[in-house]
Amino acid sequence: MKNVCVPAEHALHRRLFLGGLLTGGAAALSVPGVSFAADVPAAEKLRKDQKRVLFIWLAGGSSQFEMWDPKPGRETGGPFRAIQTSVSGYQVCELMPKLATRMNNIAVVRSLNTKISEHFQAADLISSGWPKEPALEHPEIGVVLAKELALQNSKLPDYVSLFTTSEGRRRPSPGFLSRRHAPLLLEGSLRPSNIELPAGLSDTQHLERDRLRAALSLDFAKERAGNDLIQGYNEAYARVRGLMSSDELFDLEKEPTPVRERYGSTPFGRHCLLARRLLEAGVPVVKVARGFWDSHHDNFESHRELVPDFDNVLSVLLDDLDERGLLSSTLVIVLSEFGRTPKINQDVGRDHFADAWSCALAGCGIRGGAIHGETNEDGTAVKSGEASAADIAATIFHAAGIDPQKHYQVGQRPVPLAKEDSQPIKTVLS
Amino acid sequence: MSAAETKLDVKLARLIHTAEAPGILYGSCFDSTTGKYYAAGADGYVYCLNARPAEPFAEKGKAEQKWRHHDNYVAALAWHAGVVISAGYDRRIVWTKADSGEKLREVGAHDGWVRKLALLPNQSRLASIGDDMLLKIWDLPTGECIHRCVKHQPLTPEGFTNALYAVAASSDGKFVATADRCGLVCVWDAVTGQLQQHFKAETFYTFDAEKRARAIGGIRALCFLPDGQLVLGGIGQVSNVDGFVGPCRVEVWNWQEAKRVAMGTDKHQAIFNHLEYLPAEKLLIGGGGGDGGPLLAFWNADLLEKKTEAPLSKAKPKSHIQHFAFDPVSQQLLAAGHNGMQVWSFTPAPPKVDEKK
Repeated sequence: MKNVCVPAEHALHRRLFLGGLLTGGAAALSVPGVSFAADVPAAEKLRKDQKRVLFIWLAGGSSQFEMWDPKPGRETGGPFRAIQTSVSGYQVCELMPKLATRMNNIAVVRSLNTKISEHFQAADLISSGWPKEPALEHPEIGVVLAKELALQNSKLPDYVSLFTTSEGRRRPSPGFLSRRHAPLLLEGSLRPSNIELPAGLSDTQHLERDRLRAALSLDFAKERAGNDLIQGYNEAYARVRGLMSSDELFDLEKEPTPVRERYGSTPFGRHCLLARRLLEAGVPVVKVARGFWDSHHDNFESHRELVPDFDNVLSVLLDDLDERGLLSSTLVIVLSEFGRTPKINQDVGRDHFADAWSCALAGCGIRGGAIHGETNEDGTAVKSGEASAADIAATIFHAAGIDPQKHYQVGQRPVPLAKEDSQPIKTVLS
Repeated sequence: MSAAETKLDVKLARLIHTAEAPGILYGSCFDSTTGKYYAAGADGYVYCLNARPAEPFAEKGKAEQKWRHHDNYVAALAWHAGVVISAGYDRRIVWTKADSGEKLREVGAHDGWVRKLALLPNQSRLASIGDDMLLKIWDLPTGECIHRCVKHQPLTPEGFTNALYAVAASSDGKFVATADRCGLVCVWDAVTGQLQQHFKAETFYTFDAEKRARAIGGIRALCFLPDGQLVLGGIGQVSNVDGFVGPCRVEVWNWQEAKRVAMGTDKHQAIFNHLEYLPAEKLLIGGGGGDGGPLLAFWNADLLEKKTEAPLSKAKPKSHIQHFAFDPVSQQLLAAGHNGMQVWSFTPAPPKVDEKK
């Protein structure tokens, strides 16, 4: 009965938040009507070697032409040149010289057709892999992964989401899953707020109070409530204490200067360095959002600004993960809500475009150097290997070692992790 | 100078002809002898329009495609003694004989896109700027690089790629000014290549750290006034850096003292890509476009006298303007931008013919 949700549990949800930040911990807590078909998470075995997932979310919609799918010499291609990569026959935009030399470790899907080109709807679709349903809110892929890849007895959050810019900011939705799996949100700064002890309260005092609370909870469990509920409640508090004790994890000053310099001084560089620290410490799912790529005007200048930073930071991050022996167990995904139009508008901009765009993957479960699909010579449509948002979701789950068709029971309805008609993109899977 | 003294009646500005060309034309130059206007851009071809046709302009036409000597965007053109000098994102500057299209010379000019060109009056020299953040001064007869001027930084204060957007020469050819994305303006001695002055006009650069973590803007246009003052053009502070969502802006600086002396702006949300001062007309013209739509704006002496910041008049071109030139003979403004060239007249529109009669 561990994962069965009872209505009374709702009353405790608010207590699982710490200063507005959800730290989670109550494995038994869930929403009414939701149970889980598999009692033991599918990734149980995989937890032994700690699968990790890092989402890099290029908020606003980056241009496939100026990154993964250049069209040199075409009117739609823009002024940047294409450069040869370490993968024979595959070129990327000249703005990514460092990633070009690392394409043996990266797979690219150039044939996404996700149809929706409005920011919020598109972000919902890509983030969950599901179209909007009036009766059911699907969880974000990261939330599902946080649940599936969570470490037993970990004092760390299962999911940390960094989204420090405000435009297009998304808070990953747990959907029909328990909010226990929702991420710790780092929005205003890179350190969780309110994790310091109040002035005048020592750590010993805080610990004694926690013991008293736990003892009272135990009595309460015996007389009024079930053990599962109280266990979850205690776990939540343990997470809070774990987070408080891991404050240094969020302190980038603890990194050696050469490492910090390697990642650079830009916000994206600092965020990815923090992501690496979190992943290395055992946080299974991290999301770094880099806003904001919406380039309706001055597209080439904005990508000339953004892409070299992305190129440098992602290259350093992949190298760093590899050097620490983490890349083979860490799935890295680069996604946006959509791409940009082939047509260059009168303000030298590119508008929203979901008919033919690209994403990239690396690390755990990914066949580096694989290039899936193709767009036509002007990049106006997918020529081969068309992939949907659901296919990307299935690919991510598969790469992380989780059966995409594993299902959660939501009321009377079995809901698979990835949409029923989805197919993992085998080309990019190892 | 007052508005009444301005000979050109800018309030009569009207588009009389469009000559289609594919994509976006970024640079242009004018042969004042023959009245031919040249422009080039995204497809690498140079296009031509006769600004002084024997017959009145039809409303629409096609620009004449001439030659293609660059294998990437052409960003700037300059006219010198029957030769069109072109600068491209292929990092080269090319000299082409205008009447035949024959390529006379080409040089690998910059380590990065070549952004703009400026001829130095009376000096037989040419100034170029590029994404290597250098100003280079070239000897026109030989094509030799005489000076390589370093000051603009490759990165913005936030650590992102910078760009050198604007260059202009003083009317006596003694000074060259350059300006970049962050708003840094440098003025150089054109003879020695030495830096004479530098200052920051920061309003032109918007870095939005909170909402979008990126920048937009920069000083996109420069021109010297006959009295030596320098005009900067671009966009003011931008509320949404996804686009040109800020007020168009010009600033007049006494560069020797690094002091701003006047400012022109308007609620029209646009960036100025090019500025020209017409000494005979005592008129400053800015051309560009943005969220408020395409724009031509005209200021008279009231700007310098700080009587008003608002332009004397504005016109809404058919599409975003990247560059323009003025033909003093035909009294027409010739503009290049999205989808081709435009001819603007400053005369009253002819009376409409009543077809019923």
